[in-house]
Amino acid sequence: MLEIKNLHAIVEGEDIEILKGVNLTVSKGEIHAIMGPNGSGKSTLSKIVAGHPGYEVTEGDIIYDGESILEMDPDERAHAGIFLAFQYPVEVPGVTNMTLLRESYNTIAKSRGREEMDPLEFEDYLKTKLDLVEMNPEFLHRSVNTAFSGGEKKRNEIFQMAVLQPKLSFLDETDSGLDIDALRIVSGGINQIHGDDDAVVMVTHYQRLLEYIVPDVVHVMIDGVIVKTGGKELALELEEKGYDWLENA
Amino acid sequence: MHFKELEFTSQPPIDWVAPYAAKAAHSLETLSFPTKKDEDWRFTPLKTLTKHSFQSVNGEAKSVTEEHVQKYRLPESRESTLVLVNGAIREDLSSFSLDSSAITVKKLQEMTPSELEEAGFQSLVPVENDYFSVLHTATLTSGYYLHVHKGAKVEAPIHVLNIQTGGPTPYVSSFRLLIHVEQEAEATLIEEHVSLDDSVYLTIPVMETFVQKKGRLNHLRIQRENKSCFHISRPITSLEGTAEYHSYTIALGAHLFRNEPQIIQTGEEVDFTLDGLILIDGDQISDTHSVMDHRFSHGNSHQLHKVVVHGNAHSVFNGKIFVRQDAQIIDSFQENRNLLLSRDGIVYTKPQLEIFADDVQCSHGATIGDLDPDEVFYLQSRGMTEQKAKEVLTYAFALETIENIEVESVHTFLVDEVKAYTSRNVASRF
Repeated sequence: MLEIKNLHAIVEGEDIEILKGVNLTVSKGEIHAIMGPNGSGKSTLSKIVAGHPGYEVTEGDIIYDGESILEMDPDERAHAGIFLAFQYPVEVPGVTNMTLLRESYNTIAKSRGREEMDPLEFEDYLKTKLDLVEMNPEFLHRSVNTAFSGGEKKRNEIFQMAVLQPKLSFLDETDSGLDIDALRIVSGGINQIHGDDDAVVMVTHYQRLLEYIVPDVVHVMIDGVIVKTGGKELALELEEKGYDWLENA
Repeated sequence: MHFKELEFTSQPPIDWVAPYAAKAAHSLETLSFPTKKDEDWRFTPLKTLTKHSFQSVNGEAKSVTEEHVQKYRLPESRESTLVLVNGAIREDLSSFSLDSSAITVKKLQEMTPSELEEAGFQSLVPVENDYFSVLHTATLTSGYYLHVHKGAKVEAPIHVLNIQTGGPTPYVSSFRLLIHVEQEAEATLIEEHVSLDDSVYLTIPVMETFVQKKGRLNHLRIQRENKSCFHISRPITSLEGTAEYHSYTIALGAHLFRNEPQIIQTGEEVDFTLDGLILIDGDQISDTHSVMDHRFSHGNSHQLHKVVVHGNAHSVFNGKIFVRQDAQIIDSFQENRNLLLSRDGIVYTKPQLEIFADDVQCSHGATIGDLDPDEVFYLQSRGMTEQKAKEVLTYAFALETIENIEVESVHTFLVDEVKAYTSRNVASRF
């Protein structure tokens, strides 16, 4: 489904290389975790997959469903089924969750040849998804992320994921800032959303999330490259030993 | 007649205002026309104004009929609409039938000099030293006195609609609103300025408003005139102790819009708002010089002034907050946020706090910026095109100032105006 080949990237307009040859292959039905210390480039990688214009790919390629997506705009990537749960979801005062989701759902549905939904139908559909992340229906009528707590913002990201049904989801530090109850709710939601036809890549600093969502593959990223790949037990090893032993390797 | 640099042909003044107008005309002989050397006009060029030769009008422009007015009527103000054309009262187009024990409306021209004086006419507006206030009085032809009686809660918003229409000759039109909200009375005023064509005119509306103890006035000011006109307004409000005044100005039109709202606290425990939303593009100039003057203790004031600039448009904000020496326990908030969508737009902003008391909380801030690329990216990653994302964010920026407007029909047309502005402008740059 996703094949990242020797990906090098810089911050647009600057000379500093952040990704220095990332290789990553993700197949349908899998859950991957990318772990690494702060500043290793793991969040940048997820933004680049989603098409953030602030970065420039200088070498390598990202192949999704057999085609390079480097020339695609972020919205085209969303239409193709790529989703990014943001580390810092953006507040959009004046636009309700309902409005944003309906706009998103219908544009994505249209480009994937699915039926668009009318407002009433859509509201019913949303209600079924709200349960996944234990959110109150009144939340649909609030402005996107405005005056939301940190935990609510993260839950909202997963709610959006549930509604939009992406094929490939990057979850960027979705666990950061969550208390134990919120973490349980969010990870429960992700486990229910994920199925045989989609793939999830979790980007996280801590092993904690992986107690709730068990990954098939764990990668360690340090200084812009993936230095080690293993099974779920690798996460435990990292928990125990930290990142130092890999940095010095 | 020349009023310094401003070329102007005047009509003989109408009886009621003649003594005031004569005095004003006399003052104009010695007052200097504002230039960039005046601190208050440093960033606001008046050369587009002085290139025209203006004629005063006091006709009623009979060509304006119900057909023209229809689309501006608000269902909430079916029984409380006052229509002026070029600043002259048009009773035939007005419809006012609210209970006269709650509110009375008089034409200024039907009041005696002593009644005018008693109502505070000319007591707030500068009569000698401010060029455009004086020019307003020199060219004044008519106006309304709105009097909300003690304890009355006037539910229906009072819609004062000033329609402009002209011919090939530039003209000056001025009108006055004199407003009294008595003790414990409440009312909502919608003051709206529109034009039917692209004629060039200078309009100088002045308001003198008095809110008495425990009185409350909500004031919506909507300026959506053509982009050839000049609009220089001075709404001045005096608040007695425990009075409330909440003002929202939304301005989209005019080639030059200069607004000088002023709120004066004349007793303890007042609460007031002075919010604004300015949307400009092309070669529009918009300038807000506001004064919030805390002269007594216990006052809350709130000012959120938002501006969106596109094209070669040019915005100026100067927000003065005074807290006088004896005015303790004042909580004052001021924020000026500017969204600059084009490379050639210009924004000047200057918060100006002059605080002489010590037990005071005053916060102020000013920002100028483009749309945040992370916000654009967020919406794009949810499937919106870049343009749609930028429209939504510009719309959201503007919406904050209008979402509290409770008069539904006004809220609806303002949302449409904001949408039209964003879809017109967002596409053309990015």
